[in-house]
Amino acid sequence: MNLPLDSGLPAKTAFLKVGLWTVFLLFALRLFYLQVLHGDYYRTLSENNYTRTIVLRSPRGMLLDRNGKVLCRNRVSFSLVLDAARGGSIDDTISAMRRILDFSMDRAQVDAALRRSPVASLAVLARDVPPSWLQKIEAHQQELNMLRIEMELRRDYPYGLYAGHALGYVGLLSPEDAERMKIKESDPFIEVGKSGVEKTANVRLMGVNGRRTAQVNSLGREIEDPKLRLPGVGIQEDPVPGKPLNLNLDMDLQTVLENAFAGETGSAVFMNPNTGEILAWVSEPEFNPNLFSGTVSASAWKDLVDDPTRPLLNRPIQGAYPPGSTFKPFVALVGLQEGLLSASTMFTCGGVWDYGGHPFHCWSKGHGTIDLITAIQNSCNIYFYHAGDRIGIERLDKWGRLFGLGQKTGVDLPGETSGVLGSPEWKAKHGLGPWYPGETLPVSIGQGYLTVTPLQLLSFYSTLATGGTRYRPRLISGPPEVLSTVDVSPEALGVVKEGLARVVSSGTGKGCQIPGVEVCAKTGTAQVVQASSGKNTYSLDKAERDHAWIAGFAPRSNPTVAFVVMVEHGGHGGDVGARIAKAGLEFLFLGKKPGEVIGPPKPPPVSPPPMAEPEIPTDLPPEVPPPLPEQPTPEGIPQGTILDQNGPAGVRP
Amino acid sequence: MKSTLKAYAGYGDHLTTLLFLVLLAGGAVMVRSATFGTKFAPLAERQTMWCFVAVVAYLLATLVPYEVWIEYSYILYGLCIVVLLGVMVFGHSVAGSRSWFVLGPVGFQPSELAKVAAALAGAGYVKDLSHKVIGVKEFFILTGIVALPMLLTLFQPDFGTATTFLPMILAAFYLSRMGLSKILKWAALAAVLGSVVFVLGWFTFFKPYQKERVLTFLNPTANTRGAGYQVHQARIAVGSGELAGKGLYSGTQNRLNFLPAPHTDFIFGVICEETGFIGAVALLAVYFTLLGRFLGTLLVARDMEGRFLVLCAFSVILYHIFINVGMVIGLVPTTGIPLPFLSYGGSSLVGLTLFVGLAANVRAHRFVR
Repeated sequence: MNLPLDSGLPAKTAFLKVGLWTVFLLFALRLFYLQVLHGDYYRTLSENNYTRTIVLRSPRGMLLDRNGKVLCRNRVSFSLVLDAARGGSIDDTISAMRRILDFSMDRAQVDAALRRSPVASLAVLARDVPPSWLQKIEAHQQELNMLRIEMELRRDYPYGLYAGHALGYVGLLSPEDAERMKIKESDPFIEVGKSGVEKTANVRLMGVNGRRTAQVNSLGREIEDPKLRLPGVGIQEDPVPGKPLNLNLDMDLQTVLENAFAGETGSAVFMNPNTGEILAWVSEPEFNPNLFSGTVSASAWKDLVDDPTRPLLNRPIQGAYPPGSTFKPFVALVGLQEGLLSASTMFTCGGVWDYGGHPFHCWSKGHGTIDLITAIQNSCNIYFYHAGDRIGIERLDKWGRLFGLGQKTGVDLPGETSGVLGSPEWKAKHGLGPWYPGETLPVSIGQGYLTVTPLQLLSFYSTLATGGTRYRPRLISGPPEVLSTVDVSPEALGVVKEGLARVVSSGTGKGCQIPGVEVCAKTGTAQVVQASSGKNTYSLDKAERDHAWIAGFAPRSNPTVAFVVMVEHGGHGGDVGARIAKAGLEFLFLGKKPGEVIGPPKPPPVSPPPMAEPEIPTDLPPEVPPPLPEQPTPEGIPQGTILDQNGPAGVRP
Repeated sequence: MKSTLKAYAGYGDHLTTLLFLVLLAGGAVMVRSATFGTKFAPLAERQTMWCFVAVVAYLLATLVPYEVWIEYSYILYGLCIVVLLGVMVFGHSVAGSRSWFVLGPVGFQPSELAKVAAALAGAGYVKDLSHKVIGVKEFFILTGIVALPMLLTLFQPDFGTATTFLPMILAAFYLSRMGLSKILKWAALAAVLGSVVFVLGWFTFFKPYQKERVLTFLNPTANTRGAGYQVHQARIAVGSGELAGKGLYSGTQNRLNFLPAPHTDFIFGVICEETGFIGAVALLAVYFTLLGRFLGTLLVARDMEGRFLVLCAFSVILYHIFINVGMVIGLVPTTGIPLPFLSYGGSSLVGLTLFVGLAANVRAHRFVR
């Protein structure tokens, strides 16, 4: 050494050496701790990073009418999903969403969507979004990290409004649904039936989602890298598609009836009396189930709920109305069965009958002295007041029960109401005091403590048609189910049928005569307000006008169809009711469509109606699809494509 | 020339050369693996090119006797200062700081070279001292020499790179006439002062992202989605490498983009993931053996300026390794400081290569007078 060493240098160097290797040891120990001691823990984390379970959505079963016409199918749609488990802040995402996608949502709406989702941290923000959002979100991956577009299958009802109440609608599974239905799924896009046969046959229609483990990168995008064949990737469970559902509906008949209503409010149900197969189910105003297949905007929902015509009401089973004169054949039948009346029993109608100091009116100034068949034919009130008085409420109640009046019919639709079959027992049960004999009289003409649903009344006429066998009314195709058999004598039945035939041939039901077919029917006019009594119903305001009924079956011998038509505030059943019934019967027996206008006068929307922007799901079922931009989707499936079969085996997002 | 090579063959620092080449090759491979299949893949070729530049730089730094380097040090230093000033005006702006010169396809950060120039200038200053002892005055002058380019870098602003000048000030301090015990006392005092400054800084001039990094470091699992995401993913990369690694090109954290900046700041994460504990510790062993070699050279260096150069090389490289590896394995907060010879980047590679070359130079010329 040429220079004397700095005296301190060896010590300083030694200190540095110790320090140096201490750092090495520290690093090596830290690596040992992370890689060797906890390596398997971090390996699991890394595997969770690069694998993602992709739900293979099972298509919901299609709905078909009795002739194989498609009533509901599936279409491909894109939805906006928020994954709160991914990196980022929700508030930042909301503002980026407004800026980049021009889509506004507030924090409360996002939180609500998260709450509503059956999958923690995943929320469906909007459905039927433009496919262009896919590219936008990819292009702004940083800011929109929490968002992704998923492809799902949505319900599509090609007939639009028609038979909407029978088909029902679907909605996204809510956490409450999931709990109630015991569905354990990690998919926010599960749809369940909320009404109609969509609800009744939900389990059969639903199918089971499959899943596949995919390899994804940090953006959550699936990648196929042959060099990185990782354990646990590629395992696949195929989805089980929902089964298609055949309905008894005849969509042609349905169309004829829907059109015949021409804007009136009410119900019409046509049924095969020999099987209980429901051929048509009209509840006007109809709603468009396409509106619901997901997420209606809150305003659209409010419009439906607030609509004074109550489009959401499934009138054939949820509307309970006084049956009016359509009830008279029942009274006649009970009288005949009990031996209290016969075809030749005569009563005299002078237009009014004083019963214990109260005047009871006929709609006519006086029918004179008439027999039972004539009384049915002319719908004489006074005759049936006398008949009812003679029969008594207990017998009416007993037979009413046998025919299922005041009870649910058991139709395969949710939400059926039972109506009221008044009786002393019923009055006592509801704390309404004792039954006065004077209260039997209104019941005898289908008013008073008596309401029926249109379907119940149809069930009664159907039972008349079969001679006593009651079938459960069914929308879903399957073997007939006998509910009960009412023991009625052929003689009694013959008398009532004769009366009903005469109603059509020369009475109040002339409006539904069909050449070559003997139609049996009874019209009815149910008072809405007491004030209308004795006044010309057409002179009243629409809301105060009477309800118009017609119910019956045809042909008289070997009936093949039973029907009921009820038009709210329609006036006389013999007018508007008979016109609608006639349209249906003409179609069935003559193959004739009204005015021979065979094309659909109300063209059913095949694709969803256009909307200004994607809709935000609300707490209510919901949703109106937005516009369908004409650009190819990334997956190559044109937007709005209808899957005429049950859709692909699984839809990959 | 021939005799120089012959002499070098005899006295040259072959261990350092060998370790350097190992690191260089490792860097070329790891940058390739870290960019494979991504849009950064072309950088692998470029890194290989920089490796050749680095070899040339190394040969120059080690073969030209360091007294010659020192002789021209003031000129180099002056040039660097001019360039640093120039870059502030004409430089290429990346992420808000003007620290790059771009010539065609090649970008260069002059502050990396300025570090070497500062070390050489410091050595030149020490050489010209008649008494060869670093006292208080000399220490402050050395500090000034280092601080000038450091401050210029800080104003670019490039805080991370600026801090890499600091180890040279510590080197000057360590080589001063103070004994070890006195130095340790100063170090203790500095630690106390540093803490005070930190606490004061927390409430005054720290930027929010800096605070967040510190908080994330202190509690990395608190927010694995937001601020802690990088730290968390880096830790998964390291841990999931386990003993033997997932294999080159097969690191899922790397290849599937979970690991942030895998070819630059977090390349050690790729190494840990793909080569496992064995590879990572082997790499650290190479680094620390190299640094240990520098300490050996420190003892045998023939003059004060040589010692200063070696200790600068030692402290600067150790600082890089400590901060970078410490960050990846979660021992220090996140900072943007590259891993020497492994991280992608030509300027840093060439700059640090010059340090290694000069350290080898000092050893090779330990007997020459």
